[in-house]
Amino acid sequence: MDRNTIIEAVNEAVIDALGAETDEVVPEATLLDDLGAESIDLLDILFRLERSLGIKIQAAELAAYVQGGIPDEEFGDENEIVSAVGLAQLKKVMPQIDTDALTGKLQATQVMGLFTVDNLVGLVEHRAALAAV
Amino acid sequence: MKLQGQVALVTGGSRGIGAAVCRRLAADGAAVAINYRSSEGPAKELVREIEAAGGRAITVHGDVADSAAAQEMVRRTVEDLGGLDILVNNAGVAQDALIFNMEMDDWLDVMKVNFGGVFHCTKAVLPHFMSKGAGVIVNVSSVMGERGWVGESNYAASKGAVNAFTRCCAMESARFGIRVNAVLPGFAPTDLVAGLTEGATGRSIKKQIPMRDFGEVEQIADVVRFLSGPESSYMTGSLVNVDGGAMTALGLGRP
Repeated sequence: MDRNTIIEAVNEAVIDALGAETDEVVPEATLLDDLGAESIDLLDILFRLERSLGIKIQAAELAAYVQGGIPDEEFGDENEIVSAVGLAQLKKVMPQIDTDALTGKLQATQVMGLFTVDNLVGLVEHRAALAAV
Repeated sequence: MKLQGQVALVTGGSRGIGAAVCRRLAADGAAVAINYRSSEGPAKELVREIEAAGGRAITVHGDVADSAAAQEMVRRTVEDLGGLDILVNNAGVAQDALIFNMEMDDWLDVMKVNFGGVFHCTKAVLPHFMSKGAGVIVNVSSVMGERGWVGESNYAASKGAVNAFTRCCAMESARFGIRVNAVLPGFAPTDLVAGLTEGATGRSIKKQIPMRDFGEVEQIADVVRFLSGPESSYMTGSLVNVDGGAMTALGLGRP
């Protein structure tokens, strides 16, 4: 599945699920903070992608993909601040983040707030590649 | 035959309102999965009746109070009938008692079937409906969920829960193309309420219903059919009374 097909489907799903304006849905826009998505909106986006692309992504997989299988106790410290190991993982799936600026400051609960439209494209690409194997 | 090509699962479909709903949906072309818990004979007889009339039906055994059983019912319906478009949550029980005498199991057992059944079956169909972006759920509730009746606090509470759940479920699932409504029957003579609709009690209640008559199960089924089909495409979260006007009354409505 080529990247443009995925980008188009993601944009359409985000616009339709959030009732967003086309010009708001740019690759660097974060789904939760910039576009105001709530949990039900994320679910809606994932089901729209399932219908348009035939790629099934469970809501729980979104968080698992971001955390990259790193156990909670390694991902964050006792105060739930994301560790260096955690930040290194986040950089892989959210290349836009400034890990230096976030070191020692990013709370685990804030992580999904950094997830952008482009990162969602990355997730769908990742899943499409898995499905193709 | 506006439901041609559609598949419906009706819980508690072997008797009473449920059986009338199965007949009505099948008459309009839907293939029907008739769920039953204990009434295997009537459920199989109903399948034969629907098939004899040119329709398509299967029986699906299972207790709606059991979440795994609900999942299995839905899986079997999809597998045997090739899909699922309409869920009618109809299965219900009553276990009347005064609150003064009521034990915990008296309300918990009723809640497990009447509300638990709606919850489990709804949850079981949601992934399927959401993947398609379409689906209809009709909950058979009761006017008791909105009013009181001596001895029915547990039943009324369970139906009140169904009504509240219907609204929330409609709200959460609307954007996935799923509609969720409820019918609230008044007094319709079925095994469930036989004690209220027969004899002197029945005559006394009948006098208090503005239409002066009990509802036939077919009249309830007609509304379930309406809420299941394209005619109600802009309705979701509605609680529709089917009660001959019983819910209009303030007390007895006269001195």
